[in-house]
Amino acid sequence: MDENLNVSKLLRLKRYEQPPPAYFEDFLHEFQRRQRAEALRRPAWALFWDRITSIAPTFRVPQFAYAAILVLAAGVSTLIVTQQPAETLAKVDASRTSLSLTASKPVTITDTLPVSAQTGGSLPSHYVLQPRPVSNEQPLSF
Amino acid sequence: MDEAPEPHDDELVARTQAGDPEAFDELVIRYSPRLYGLIYNMTSNHEDTNDLLQEVFAKAYRSINGFRGKSSFYTWMHSIAVNMTINFVKKRGRRHAMSLDDMDAGVQNDPDFIEATTGGDPRQDANISELQQRLNEALQKLSHEHRAVVTMFDIQGMPHAEIAKILGISEGTVRSRLFYAHRQLQNYLEEFIKH
Repeated sequence: MDENLNVSKLLRLKRYEQPPPAYFEDFLHEFQRRQRAEALRRPAWALFWDRITSIAPTFRVPQFAYAAILVLAAGVSTLIVTQQPAETLAKVDASRTSLSLTASKPVTITDTLPVSAQTGGSLPSHYVLQPRPVSNEQPLSF
Repeated sequence: MDEAPEPHDDELVARTQAGDPEAFDELVIRYSPRLYGLIYNMTSNHEDTNDLLQEVFAKAYRSINGFRGKSSFYTWMHSIAVNMTINFVKKRGRRHAMSLDDMDAGVQNDPDFIEATTGGDPRQDANISELQQRLNEALQKLSHEHRAVVTMFDIQGMPHAEIAKILGISEGTVRSRLFYAHRQLQNYLEEFIKH
């Protein structure tokens, strides 16, 4: 215990290690100079962001607000999940229709045209999809 | 003629938050000597202390709008200073733990210092310079956490409760760190301690 006191007494001697009094006046001037330099050096958005981040923690959000946000988020995600299958089915149906065009069997016009159009007589009996697109441009040769 | 009473910290903080930079200058003047002592005794280097102290006040100024007064401004400032100093010392490692050139030569002629060191013990009277050197060396041998506690308690005279708040630990932990640090220091400073 006595030795503890002596250690403390020795350590208290370090209180006397202080810089000269003028140091602290210079210190303030140096601080002000650095602050001005920093303000000039930093982009405006960084200063604005500093302001926002320092103010943000002061916003007081009521506790029930977190629960309300949670419920809202759950509701929205449920809505999204329940809507998705109907849309997906519609897309699947549409893709089936388009797939029938690529079938190897020729598609007859009577399959796709309304009854009134079938009676024209001037239309070709069926179309065959070409494996390559038709082009009027000359092929490039080097 | 009576001088106007000095404004309380809280008032200066409120004025700074309202955009008055002169109020923060007043806080810098008020806190720099004390924080200088805290940082210097943890780094044992004047140049590092100067740079760190500038950074501590710059950080405090940037964050002051987030200060909500849950703790005192005193505790808040000391927390920033201690945390930044511990981080700095950890990064610095043992690059230059202590240099004799860093020590304040003027202190040896300080009458208070001489009186304190010549308090009836001829061994202490014999070599003040050596004592100062050994004290700094001994402090540098402590871990950062132990040095912080010793600096605040023994050198700066803070109560255990205040240190606990600043470091975010219990008072019991402060006491146990002090006990351990004192025991280590006793070994390093054996020849200067009366038995």
